[in-house]
Amino acid sequence: MTSVDPITLEVVSEGFIAIVREMRATVTRTAYSSAVYELDDFSCGLFAPNGELVAQFNDIPSHVIPAPWGVRCTMEDFGDDIHPGDIFLLNDSYRGGTHLNDVTLLYPVFHQGKLFMLPMVRSHWGDVGGMEPGSYSGEATNIYQEGLRIPPIKLYERGKVNTAAMALILSNMRQPDVRLGDIHSAIGACRIAESRILKMLEKYGAPVVSECIRLDLDRSERRLRERIAKLPDGEYVYEDYLEYFDDGVFDPVLMRLKLTVKGDELIADFEGSNPQVPGPVNTSLAVAGAGIFVGVKATLDAGGTVNGGLFRPLHFKGPEASIVDVRRDAPAGAHAEVRKRAVSVALGALSQIIPDLVSGDLCGTSFPNNMGGFSKRRHRSWAYLEVPAGGNGGLKATDGSSAFVNVDHGNVRSILTVEVLEQDIPFRVKSCELRTDSGGEGASRGGLGMRRELQLVEDEARYSVLSDRAVIPPFGMGMGAHASAQVRASLVVNGEPRAIRNPGKVTGYGLRHGDAVVMESAGGGGYGDPLLRDPEKVRRDVDADYVSIERARDRYGVCFKDDGAVDVKATEAQRKKIAAERVFLAIEADESDPFEGWKGRHRVVRLSEALAARLKVANADLIELKGKNPAPLRAWVRVDPKRKGEKISLDDFGRRVLGVDDGERVLFRKLEMPPLRAGMSGFTERDAIAAAQA
Amino acid sequence: MAWIGIDVGGTFTDAVASDPHSGQLIWAKSATTPDHPQQGVLNAIAKLEVELSAVNRLVHGLTLGTNAILERKGADVWVVTTKGFRDTLEIARTNRTILYDINTLKPPSLVPRQHILEVSERLAYDGSVLSPLDEAELDSVADKLIAAKARTVAVCFLHSYVNSAHETQAAAYLRQRLPGSYVCTSSEVLPEYREYERFSTTVLNAYIGPKVSSYLAELKGDLGKSGYAHEVLITTSSGGVATAERAARFPISTVLSGPAGGVAAAVHLGRQIGIPNLITYDMGGTSTDVCLVENLEVPLTSEQFISELPNRTSQIEINTVGAGGGSIAWIDDGPILRVGPQSASSQPGPACYGRGGVEPTVTDANLMLGRLDAEGRLAGEVSLDRSASERALKKLQPALGDIELIRLADGVIKIAVARMVSAIKEISIGRGYDPRDFALLAYGGAGPLHAAFIAEELDMHTVLVPPGPGNFSALGAILSDIRYDYVRTQLLDTRKTSVEEIDRLFEPLEGQGKDELLRDGVPGKDIVLQRSLGMRYIGQSWELDVAIPADVKSVEEMEALFYRLHEIRYGHATKDPTEIVSLRVAAIGRVNKPELPELAANSTSKPKSVRKAFFDGEVHDVDVYEREHLPLTKPLSGPLIIEEGGSVTIVPPGWSCRVGKVGTLVLKKESA
Repeated sequence: MTSVDPITLEVVSEGFIAIVREMRATVTRTAYSSAVYELDDFSCGLFAPNGELVAQFNDIPSHVIPAPWGVRCTMEDFGDDIHPGDIFLLNDSYRGGTHLNDVTLLYPVFHQGKLFMLPMVRSHWGDVGGMEPGSYSGEATNIYQEGLRIPPIKLYERGKVNTAAMALILSNMRQPDVRLGDIHSAIGACRIAESRILKMLEKYGAPVVSECIRLDLDRSERRLRERIAKLPDGEYVYEDYLEYFDDGVFDPVLMRLKLTVKGDELIADFEGSNPQVPGPVNTSLAVAGAGIFVGVKATLDAGGTVNGGLFRPLHFKGPEASIVDVRRDAPAGAHAEVRKRAVSVALGALSQIIPDLVSGDLCGTSFPNNMGGFSKRRHRSWAYLEVPAGGNGGLKATDGSSAFVNVDHGNVRSILTVEVLEQDIPFRVKSCELRTDSGGEGASRGGLGMRRELQLVEDEARYSVLSDRAVIPPFGMGMGAHASAQVRASLVVNGEPRAIRNPGKVTGYGLRHGDAVVMESAGGGGYGDPLLRDPEKVRRDVDADYVSIERARDRYGVCFKDDGAVDVKATEAQRKKIAAERVFLAIEADESDPFEGWKGRHRVVRLSEALAARLKVANADLIELKGKNPAPLRAWVRVDPKRKGEKISLDDFGRRVLGVDDGERVLFRKLEMPPLRAGMSGFTERDAIAAAQA
Repeated sequence: MAWIGIDVGGTFTDAVASDPHSGQLIWAKSATTPDHPQQGVLNAIAKLEVELSAVNRLVHGLTLGTNAILERKGADVWVVTTKGFRDTLEIARTNRTILYDINTLKPPSLVPRQHILEVSERLAYDGSVLSPLDEAELDSVADKLIAAKARTVAVCFLHSYVNSAHETQAAAYLRQRLPGSYVCTSSEVLPEYREYERFSTTVLNAYIGPKVSSYLAELKGDLGKSGYAHEVLITTSSGGVATAERAARFPISTVLSGPAGGVAAAVHLGRQIGIPNLITYDMGGTSTDVCLVENLEVPLTSEQFISELPNRTSQIEINTVGAGGGSIAWIDDGPILRVGPQSASSQPGPACYGRGGVEPTVTDANLMLGRLDAEGRLAGEVSLDRSASERALKKLQPALGDIELIRLADGVIKIAVARMVSAIKEISIGRGYDPRDFALLAYGGAGPLHAAFIAEELDMHTVLVPPGPGNFSALGAILSDIRYDYVRTQLLDTRKTSVEEIDRLFEPLEGQGKDELLRDGVPGKDIVLQRSLGMRYIGQSWELDVAIPADVKSVEEMEALFYRLHEIRYGHATKDPTEIVSLRVAAIGRVNKPELPELAANSTSKPKSVRKAFFDGEVHDVDVYEREHLPLTKPLSGPLIIEEGGSVTIVPPGWSCRVGKVGTLVLKKESA
């Protein structure tokens, strides 16, 4: 075996990271998609032929973590038929991709006739065809509406461009010149990587370089294994939802996680998660797994090099053809929303093991807003994407950051500056501000979301949005901690505010001159009990208008004197009052299936009429329960005339989420949902008729 | 008659005086006096023993503003901005630079939200007025500022880079209502698009404005009292100098004053000794700056951050690494040996300083290896304690399988060197340059100690060590031209515009530059105006700054210059259409510069001692020379150690050293 001294190991592994850095600089400066050059929505990486990630730099986790699957699919499909000068392209969500807009270019690098490494550029193309500008949208029902699917293909063969493939691809996208620019930019970056890799091989020799890679990956693996080994063995469970509308009816879909700690390994099993649905809330196991990976890495093992060694102690499972293992022909545009929900369930499960290291729920959605059309002023068609960042969850030691991309989204800049935007596309930014009161209240406050209003200044444009957490808010962590404000996308039409039909989801809304889009990103969940927050911190929040004086009183229990100082006595009294008003109910074990829904599945809690009246809740109201574990359990109310008493029935899974046994009490809290125009599955007229017939 | 250059560093204030006729240089150092820095400056000048009334040019490198930002000790800034956009600075670009860590927080804004006041006004992207500045609202903003006793105000409106009228009007009104306060506008500080970056730069300017302007006023007064009768000049971040009056208005343009001075000196030295392509390597106690100089041109950029906040003023393109002589070696939980970015700085300093430092540093490793003199004193000031270094380094041994101590010390140096190498690769290979086409110019106290090892890794065959490497930045101060930069953001389709139109847009910028230099007393014949265009392919967003020589007479030629630069920078270029997004003018007032003097012959030419030092895995007996006693005629073969006041040069085995023009040490790789 080749032996490598520790210094050479450092020089070579740093050298690979430097190569990725150089690739990134090239892509940023030369790409044509604004999502790439302004938002940094792209990744580079170096991969071993077995698919393992050798090196990355500041590359966005959402791209680079699922990427090994893309490399493996390509290697499986082409086997020995890979030659110097071949360049692969892929975006297929069913075969190595994320969502269709993320197009991956793989560039095999050979050394002495042998495939040695694959540099990769994965970038978000502004448009990949499909039914609306920007391609992905909230009301898609199948993948063909989301753009052109490219399974792993050779775009170049032995150095020659496959003109048929190139022409076919460019003919099916709205801005072919821009797409070609993106391809050239990615190839340029990979060429640079190739020359650097070859130089390194020349200097140190392949045996030494390969040994360095092995050692570098091994030590990352070892580090994570050591962290996992310190956790108590066991199964930790959590559940959460994605927002699906079935013909306008809200029909939430369930994501479930069973996280098993076994020695120095973690098994993330999505068993029990919803079957896939004909709406954009599905993705691949590689993408869903990336959410779990980020949740684990960012809490348990923050910092440290990220490479393929870290994947080895983690195992992912999920039911076939489910929201975490999408198959034909379900749409897959919402890879980010599903991944973010995987981060949420990871935080929920991890909070039961390492409560001090997690945060309140993150804003929980990437909130992609696509706009497009033909600009008369600039004589070209345009497509524009922005993903206004929301808040981050409160942490044990500090408040969550506001309007700051979540940890799974990396170094993405989520919005354009006003001055670039107004020059590039026919919109005027009317305002861009933080949303007061959008952060979840807690001992540590969740970060705030932002509100942006964009007004159309040309004749026509199309608007699509594909968001989640528009109905079900990000959750708080710890007893008493509050959820944050949901995402809200709305319109101003003819000067009048107008809600959109399905919260968070629109495909191709036709805007006219003077109409505006109002985008409000979600806040982050609170951490710990807001009644324990230092009143001085609340005062500073009120001074800065992060928190309104009313919220300070109602949720933090902090009251002020006329001069703005904290009124200590009134605060004490108000806090006592809020604490006394909290409702706790006893749990009774009941293993009957609590789930309802059409294509989705949502948990229902049955309450007697008297109890519902006392709690001021009605059918289809969203509630949350908080037990001994930090993260809450969400459910919808069904008032049951046959039911008596004040207890809440809960199955084993639900009790494990809350960490409570039969007879123990949990905090009951109603959550506000935005109006649902066509109602919710299980509570519509159709359901009533079906129930009557049964 | 004399010229004086000053560089105020963290530990020492360096001064150099030059007689522009004889070229004779005098060096002096005095302790920096942080609370009252002008005292340190006056002390250092006093040590030069030069009559201030006979000095006709005094140039000052400024770190006051830089430190105020790094230590977050600036002014209490208020911002007046366009209605609807009070959160521009806090929202920032929303990106997170540290990944995979849920604890990462957004860098806090310098201005709390309640200090941001809004006024109704709005311009479109082309500068047309959508709604006028609301004077009644401005009036109530002024009332609020007065009530809050605000003394520092940044006026930041959207699209002011193309039409500054509203900002100018608001600033004039606020100056009138708040007499004596520091008011600046985003259009005067940085008339460029992307409001977050412009506002950030403007707020940084305001943040350090009061401190820098009052310091400069006091310094001018003190120097005047001591007999100095001319303008005080300040080194700017772009390697030129500006009058103290201008530096007080735009202090943000001086934050890289120190490193810029070093690069300016490097260019001057390169010109004098006939080596036009240099990579400068300035290694001090806590950090290292590297910069690539091609053809004696100082490379400039405007895309930098200070303390995580964007500063988009024109500045030399340096790459800074958080590793210097005081950087601490440590073991992460890999366990991997790391060096920096934590530094023992000057207090307590490396373990061997014996001032209470217990962590092993790069300097300790050098001492262990025999490359520094355990008997001697560093910079003539600090005596070194080898046993303290040994104790500190020993702490790292267990985690690394009880590696031999000397090899551990060697490893610390190698890792520090690897970081420098990576930084140099980024600015050379990373931008399409081959480092083998450049000489490595090493200065700063710790630069010459490591330069040959870095050159070795990069296959560079020449290392240069200038005279006075420890004071090189101060020397740069007096070698700099006056330089002012002007920019206009303007979108033009290259193929639809004309040379005439471009000329028309350049002319007011050039006029402004010329007027300002004439006002500073620069004779017209010494004024040079350099044009450049920010260009990109239509569809791209990031522009390249393309220098446009005076003899370019068509837009086709301009486009061709862009293609060539794109090819060099990014490895590919098509002949696709381009657009122009900005026009820049550098107005340069050439000043006479002293020639560096040649060395007189010396008599001794003998090593002062022989010391055991570790190179290439073994201990060698190494000749140690005083720099001033090196033989002038014949090259010497390594290993060699060359000592002088502010630095130590290492010539490893396989390298030779000779004394070149103006006393520069020229280290060459000997062919195998």
